[in-house]
Amino acid sequence: MPEVILSVKDLCLYYATRRGVVKAVDKVSFDLRRGESLAIVGESGCGKTSLARAIIRLLPRNVHTFDGQLLLNGQDIMKLDDEEFRKEVRWRKISIVFQAAQNSLNPVLRVGFQIAEPLMIHNGMPREEALSEAKKYLRMVGVHESFAERYPFELSGGMKQRAVIAMALIMKPYVVILDEPTSALDVITQANIMNLLKSIKSETGISYIFITHDVALSSELADKVAVMYAGEIVELTESEEFYTSPKHPYAQKLMASVPTLRADKKLEFIPGTPPSLINPPPGCRFHPRCPYVMDVCRSEEPPVVEVKPGHYVKCWLYAKGG
Amino acid sequence: MEEGVLRVENLSKWFTIRRGLLAPPLTLRAVDNVSFELRRGEAVSLVGESGSGKTTLGKTVLRLYEPTSGRILFKGRDVTNLKGKELLWYKRETGLVQQDPYGAMPSFMTISRILEEPLIIHKIGTAEERKEAVFKALEDVRLTPVEDFAFKYPHMLSGGQLQRVAIARALILGPSFVVADEPVSMLDASVRIEILTLMRELQEKRGISFIYITHDLSTTRYFSEWIFIMYAGHLVEKAPTKELIREPQHPYTQALLAAIPDPDPENRKRYREVPPGEPPSLINPPPGCRFHPRCPYVMDVCRSEEPPVVEVKPGHYVKCWLYAKK
Repeated sequence: MPEVILSVKDLCLYYATRRGVVKAVDKVSFDLRRGESLAIVGESGCGKTSLARAIIRLLPRNVHTFDGQLLLNGQDIMKLDDEEFRKEVRWRKISIVFQAAQNSLNPVLRVGFQIAEPLMIHNGMPREEALSEAKKYLRMVGVHESFAERYPFELSGGMKQRAVIAMALIMKPYVVILDEPTSALDVITQANIMNLLKSIKSETGISYIFITHDVALSSELADKVAVMYAGEIVELTESEEFYTSPKHPYAQKLMASVPTLRADKKLEFIPGTPPSLINPPPGCRFHPRCPYVMDVCRSEEPPVVEVKPGHYVKCWLYAKGG
Repeated sequence: MEEGVLRVENLSKWFTIRRGLLAPPLTLRAVDNVSFELRRGEAVSLVGESGSGKTTLGKTVLRLYEPTSGRILFKGRDVTNLKGKELLWYKRETGLVQQDPYGAMPSFMTISRILEEPLIIHKIGTAEERKEAVFKALEDVRLTPVEDFAFKYPHMLSGGQLQRVAIARALILGPSFVVADEPVSMLDASVRIEILTLMRELQEKRGISFIYITHDLSTTRYFSEWIFIMYAGHLVEKAPTKELIREPQHPYTQALLAAIPDPDPENRKRYREVPPGEPPSLINPPPGCRFHPRCPYVMDVCRSEEPPVVEVKPGHYVKCWLYAKK
């Protein structure tokens, strides 16, 4: 089994707001191995984008608590100060592809220059060399190198997203965080981008953290799946296991709500709404919507249970003697 | 066979784009020569990528845009050029649910006022009767207890709740034909099914004819009888839902279906056979078949001549040269 490249332990990210402290990421832990992709699945407001921002340390100003351990290749990168983190980790070792590509590109700079910029800034590479490297990466993501001379508005949505992917890869990072990389794109373009991400992964052995609200889409890339609910990971397992037999009641409901094109099934939905992250319900955060709720769920936080080797569920249903 | 409620014949909607004083204006052919029929109580999914013209088609059929050419027949009446009071009748008979419920609701009105507005415009009932109708409408979309929601403002509701209000508003005049334009694309997966199920229930119970505009083919099998596939302003395939999913005929439809992931762990090893490139510009669409630059089966004739619409099976229409008799 390849070595663990990124180990996240008890990561917390809370925001201070006028209405109280928002616990967007609450004691999240997982390991990511080399060449592995972990899908983080959850509804909007469950904290998945905050988790991405916590890992790459792109934080808003109103951070209340930012705590936990992030081991990258064994080095505790939480101990680095912001300047060291920017120089040594961000983009060089961990990069990110944001949801809306057009917002990650500067409209007044040529696309090729923007892709080459990290090389010039971080590695001090001469401009010409960096630009030719950028063209190489554009070709790799399936965009003709002549587009390096163009401005973002001259590219279609799919091409912009490819350019942003090239930008995230150019420093040869260990980990790329993909935050809803296709949610603004059409299905066929989406399938093309997913094909690209798959081939990059098999060629470079890069690791992905793939954040999405779309369970069906997550299966395109996931070796492992983590389900997030109200700031916590409630289930974490291999994808074979997850897509065939999810264990947490929330994960089961989520799977049951996925419309399938080819097979008939009864679609279900989850009544109610996700809880507030300021005052999450006591005990298990899913208990107000859970069909199997027991007394203990209402008052005590469920333990994380390893139901099978490598399959973790945070639920009282699987706790021994619970 | 049930009577047709809506009949659209060769409908086109072109937009003129002015480019300044001297440059000649451009024509954007958003909807080009589209014909279809919709029967009482049936739902059609109108599927296409962004920019394919599906929203324009929906809005033109509702007479929110003036058609450039073609005819719209509703309950046997030509509504293409209705004006004044008669147009008001057509508006009363039709409804629209928009994509973005936040944008579709005036933020300064309470929910009850938003729902009352159509009744006021169409001068229906007394204040007391209108209030009753509003409460009934909220109950129908299960925003209960009604009193809790009626006096709230839009920003106080979640996206799913607000979309229920939008549905209630579209249905409050008792229309027989409703267009829902991507009604759930901005909502979370678990809420989507809830809203679509509710819409389907109301549609079936009241025998409303429905056009459900979506880019998501995977929900169509649960919520519609028919699927129409739109590409670059043309309807390229029309068929009963299950048949279209089982036996897609148009190469574009086949590509769309191939692009949709099912939750299956094997997906990550699978390379999806999808055409490269993106849909063409509607200002200068390719000659002949508009899909030909991306089509894996392209023939010479596709490059120059517009394909005919062929009925490959009863009720299953394809606009493609592959199926035309030589």
